[in-house]
Amino acid sequence: MTATLLDPLESDVAGIAELASESIVILDPAGIIRYWNPAAERLFGWPALAVCGTDGAQLSPAPADEANAWSQLLQEGAWEGRIRRRTRDGDVRVAKIRRYLRYDAAGTLRDVVEYARAEPEAPGPTGADDPVPDRSMAASWEIDVAPAADILARLAARAPGADTSERDELLHGLVNAARIVEVNDRTARLVGGNRGRALMAGQSVAAFWPVESRTILADLILDALADRGSRSVHRRLASDGILRDPLVTVWRAGDDRPDRLFVAVDGAADDDRSYLYLRASEARYRKLIHYMPVALWQVDASHMGKIYAELRSRGVTDFAAHLDDHPELVEFAAASVPVTDVNRCAIELVGGAGVQDLIRPVGYLFTESPDSLRRVMIGRFSGRKNYSEFMKIRALDGRLLDVRFSVTYPEPLLELDTTIFSLEDVTERLRIETELRQLQADFSHAARISTLGELTSSIAHEVNQPLAAIMTNAETSLRWLARDEPDIGKVAQLTTRIATSARRADDIVRRIRGMAVKQAPEPVPVALNDVVQESLLFVRHEIETRGIRVTTSYARSVPKIVGDRIQLQQVIVNLLINAAQAVETSSENEREIHVATAAGTESGAVLTLRDRGPGIAPEHLGQIFDGFFTTKAQGMGIGLAICRSIVAAHGGDVSASNHPDGGAEFRVELPPARPAP
Amino acid sequence: MPTVAIVDDDEAVREALGDLLMVSGLACECFEGAAEFLAARRVGQFDCLVTDIRMPGMSGIELIARLRNERAGLPVIVLSSVLDESTRSHALAIGACAWLTKPVTDEHLLGALAQAIASSGSGSKR
Repeated sequence: MTATLLDPLESDVAGIAELASESIVILDPAGIIRYWNPAAERLFGWPALAVCGTDGAQLSPAPADEANAWSQLLQEGAWEGRIRRRTRDGDVRVAKIRRYLRYDAAGTLRDVVEYARAEPEAPGPTGADDPVPDRSMAASWEIDVAPAADILARLAARAPGADTSERDELLHGLVNAARIVEVNDRTARLVGGNRGRALMAGQSVAAFWPVESRTILADLILDALADRGSRSVHRRLASDGILRDPLVTVWRAGDDRPDRLFVAVDGAADDDRSYLYLRASEARYRKLIHYMPVALWQVDASHMGKIYAELRSRGVTDFAAHLDDHPELVEFAAASVPVTDVNRCAIELVGGAGVQDLIRPVGYLFTESPDSLRRVMIGRFSGRKNYSEFMKIRALDGRLLDVRFSVTYPEPLLELDTTIFSLEDVTERLRIETELRQLQADFSHAARISTLGELTSSIAHEVNQPLAAIMTNAETSLRWLARDEPDIGKVAQLTTRIATSARRADDIVRRIRGMAVKQAPEPVPVALNDVVQESLLFVRHEIETRGIRVTTSYARSVPKIVGDRIQLQQVIVNLLINAAQAVETSSENEREIHVATAAGTESGAVLTLRDRGPGIAPEHLGQIFDGFFTTKAQGMGIGLAICRSIVAAHGGDVSASNHPDGGAEFRVELPPARPAP
Repeated sequence: MPTVAIVDDDEAVREALGDLLMVSGLACECFEGAAEFLAARRVGQFDCLVTDIRMPGMSGIELIARLRNERAGLPVIVLSSVLDESTRSHALAIGACAWLTKPVTDEHLLGALAQAIASSGSGSKR
């Protein structure tokens, strides 16, 4: 639509317009003449010097006509027709002109280019009886009624005056069955949304023709088909919100194409939002999309929509299973669904040289993750509005990227068949997350080693007990065997004890190794009650030698949680040691720790650990989970900080309070295990 | 036959020690804690005591101190996995006649027992 003329006001080669045989005039948006070429001087008799800078409308002997033409131009973006213009010597010159709006890169109206030719003095016969004064401004259609042959036959067979409602139904059926062969730009603009002319071809006329006037169109089609002379038939319609008082003209294409008809619709656009406004709004929108900090792909999957509809009509409901049987459909989509537009961020993301590198079938987005495309297709088939997942893509320069891929599907009937992909590069985020997880694992490992350090003497004692028993039993056995009459029964008994003690030592070492070995957290479904019991084994000796009683109450219905067993043990061991230290100096009957499990709210699990020590100073309550906060001379202050970070990594929460009956109470809440996806 | 008292909270250790002493020609009686031993003993019943240090309730150190205060004259051998030097010297200072660490060889233990029983003077009750 934009004139490809080199702008004589800006171009170095202004000479081209200067030499043109056609009159070329450039007006600014206010209608002031800015350029007037020599051909215009010849046609209208005014030298450029006399008219540049003046209002072009003043040259018109009929300012009202000129104002109409101008407003139609601004609404539609182009105008074609006859104008009359006063010449320098007082005559009126009739000229046939074409006017186009031109926009700058930002989408704002820059100027109007007008091409004009002299109109022959005597209007030809066609001009006189032409019902459409500006035929080229009409919204025109070429339609094919061959698919409606049955309906046409039934309409022809009907007796006149029969049931009108049945006739109406047939007329609607006719428009419905008639297919679009081709439409012009104006039709596409007025009723086609953004689909463009190419996408309208082949579709039902009814999909684009206002429902109120479909029967009128059908009547006109019947009249035109009935007219042997191929003359045109026309009717004026009521304003339909698209055009004001439109005039519809229908005529047969010719005897060589008996099923083809031409339809022309004339009238001024009847939309408050003028074409200019829409253009500006679209330009703003495009600019917004273009500079959006999210990589966006516009994709035209309309032909897939048709395939899906066809599959559904054949009774396919389990599309995933269908794709398992027909993997070629995914390949077909990868190779045939075109990317129609991308924004700047998309080009940056995949590292192309320009838009043209990305405007090709979507397959290149899914080379690393073909299953993602499959899931995107299933999402559309199942009628979802959108779908999102994390996936990997191979950038055009070979980089492998982690992206969050989201797709917004077209909403049937509401919008154009445009699918939008948005890709967010999460490579860096994932890397940082991995580092943080590693750091957290390192940190909690360091804290476990430190905890084990605190427990060294307990651990040495625990391991040495079975070792001592083994050694003594072995030596005792040797003594029995060394006797003149070896007591085999006794030796067998001692050997059994050796085996038992060895197993016990092995269990202890295994448990400690679990805490000491550095390994990545491994989330598995675990029962909180089991973890509490294992943790108690760790500190059993520590607690017993301090004369502390531990009472437990295990709820039976504690839901399973998902977590790393060792890390959860670490939390409970830390809390137990903390509680043991709190009650250490208490009187004997107050040296007590109570551990309880329960089902939590929202089906999680809860552990409470209460001691009967002095409690937590109120001013410390807010800080005790902070790293390096400690009230103990030897403490590093990392035990509770680690507890909080581990619990948080498990999606849970740990809190501390003072129990109304004295002592501190720690509460750990963990979310329930989610069913595997 | 000299009689030895064994105090250890670990049953496997008690049983093993008991069997070793038995095959070596010593009588013995086992207790799972210091309090049980103190409650059950009679004057002159034992020629030697073998005790652990880290135990629930009364610790081995407390037990030694208690016996020293009573001037019980019972030789005490510590058999423990505690490696803490200050605890060891404290135990020896308050009257333990030997400090053995677990696990211990039979020679060491029996040697220490023989020495302790001999040094207790009475040798044997009978």
